[in-house]
Amino acid sequence: MNKPQSNGLKTLGKYLILTVALALFVGPLIWMLSTMLKTKAETYEFPPSIIPNPITVESFERLFSVQPLMWTWIGNSFTISILIVIGAVISSSIVAYGFSRFQTNHRKYLFPIVLATLMIPPSIMMIPSYVLFTKLDWIDTWLPLIVPAWLGGAYYIFLFRQFFMTIPHELDEATYLDGGGRWVVYSKVIMPLSKPIVVTTVIFAFVNSWLDFLGPFLYLKDNAKFTLSVGLQLLIGQTSQDLPSLSAGAFISIIPIALLFLFAQRYIVEGVVLTGSKG
Amino acid sequence: MKGSLRKFDTPLFFLYIAPWLIGFALFFLIPFGTSVFYAFTDARLPGSVDYNFVGLDNFIDMFNNPIFGKSLFNTFYFVVIGVPVVTTGMLLLAMLLNLNVKGIAVFRAFYYLPTLVPIVATVIIWKLVFNSEFGILNAVLSTFGMAKTDWLGGEHTIKPVIIILQVWISGSGVLIFLAALKNVPKHLYEAAHIDGAGRFRNFFHITLPMISPSILFVVIIQTMYNFQLFTEALLLSRGGPNYAAYTFVYNIYKSAFTDLRFNMAMTQSIFLFALISLITFVLMKLSNRFVYYESEK
Repeated sequence: MNKPQSNGLKTLGKYLILTVALALFVGPLIWMLSTMLKTKAETYEFPPSIIPNPITVESFERLFSVQPLMWTWIGNSFTISILIVIGAVISSSIVAYGFSRFQTNHRKYLFPIVLATLMIPPSIMMIPSYVLFTKLDWIDTWLPLIVPAWLGGAYYIFLFRQFFMTIPHELDEATYLDGGGRWVVYSKVIMPLSKPIVVTTVIFAFVNSWLDFLGPFLYLKDNAKFTLSVGLQLLIGQTSQDLPSLSAGAFISIIPIALLFLFAQRYIVEGVVLTGSKG
Repeated sequence: MKGSLRKFDTPLFFLYIAPWLIGFALFFLIPFGTSVFYAFTDARLPGSVDYNFVGLDNFIDMFNNPIFGKSLFNTFYFVVIGVPVVTTGMLLLAMLLNLNVKGIAVFRAFYYLPTLVPIVATVIIWKLVFNSEFGILNAVLSTFGMAKTDWLGGEHTIKPVIIILQVWISGSGVLIFLAALKNVPKHLYEAAHIDGAGRFRNFFHITLPMISPSILFVVIIQTMYNFQLFTEALLLSRGGPNYAAYTFVYNIYKSAFTDLRFNMAMTQSIFLFALISLITFVLMKLSNRFVYYESEK
């Protein structure tokens, strides 16, 4: 008699803790949405209100008129991300194919090096890379952001290779018997069977590129070439008093990732657990 | 047939992995080699042509700069205090999200959302929340009768604020712990229950040892990350106030782009690399005593 009741209380307690903790986590996001929908004047009131009065989207109008480059930055971010995604999928899958299907002694020591590069602290490469890109005359172009993605990312190579290992070699053999070579096996057999890992790579490469701040921040100088993140950083300096516009900018930069998360949550969660990378 | 293919395998293998080989040489070996070279010269700019070898002068300079000590102290603060706080936060959250209630998947999704917010947007949100005049935090605290605090402008509050930010975006670590918690065999808890073990003993004698490999993994990743803490410090407070958030990598950045001393920045990068390698190595060695591997594969 007593048990169901105490279980019910227990469940209620669990929900209570979960909700309080959730409020702490989602609270800052709600505060951003609230600020975004306020008039500039209302943000200066104390104590502040959670629900704006009146609710207005004039912050977006101000944002796009104060910073006409907003559309350019959004376009740049998408262009760069898409170019990085295409490069990551093509180059990493080709390299992974090499590491999973070729009989050679060089695999044994080269693949551990691929994995070891994942452990290199990126910040120690920040200045050396900058010097290299200066010498290549790549500063203030998108090349430092895009070209490395076209030369195989260690993390994606690892993902592809793991997946390729699960595809039976009999399929390769059958293709050889039909007169197909290595490239045919890769393009006509392996890749068509690898859609799940292609999807994962597309999502991760896109998220990674969209979230990247340091690369574009260091290598891009001309405002018109900025990505959205670097543009927003400029905006923080320009309109630090216009809190609704800043919130609107932050909101816009979150939308693509949030939408992706909504539709591809499973892939993101699996990828994170596998490698501990943020995506 | 197979034999004839195998004969050409090695050249073809190198052809297929060529993209990675070129990338590795171009974006790792060459820059890394260059940085070692720069560290022993007086070449201050990326394009410097006239330079002299100066031996260990850059390293001596680095240690003699008072900012160096400050940045090292700040960085160790984020490692020694930040890493345990963030890791504990991740573990507590994972245990919370491991509760067996309906709709938990929705909770998990919302907890992960902040992790996917671009860092500049995160900083904008943090500036809104912690704003000393109009921020929501001071508003909430003032209802409890607390005075307004200048969180981002305070020498003693900026570092804790950054650590709290790290907990807010710690979703990846939470997911890793969550996966580990799900892998702890249920029968262990059942057996402990029969032996009359309570919740605390369950946690310290079953849960912790069973998930210790994940803890090591998360601690190493977070330690490496906090040694390199930079963007948060740059965007939130430009390393200030009064150098309170001046981290080691922030110092590297300033050496290169403000002081225009790339050779010094390279020297500091090499020092950081040695430091991170050493600490990671020590962590791995120490971990042999604490980490329990159920099956040594």
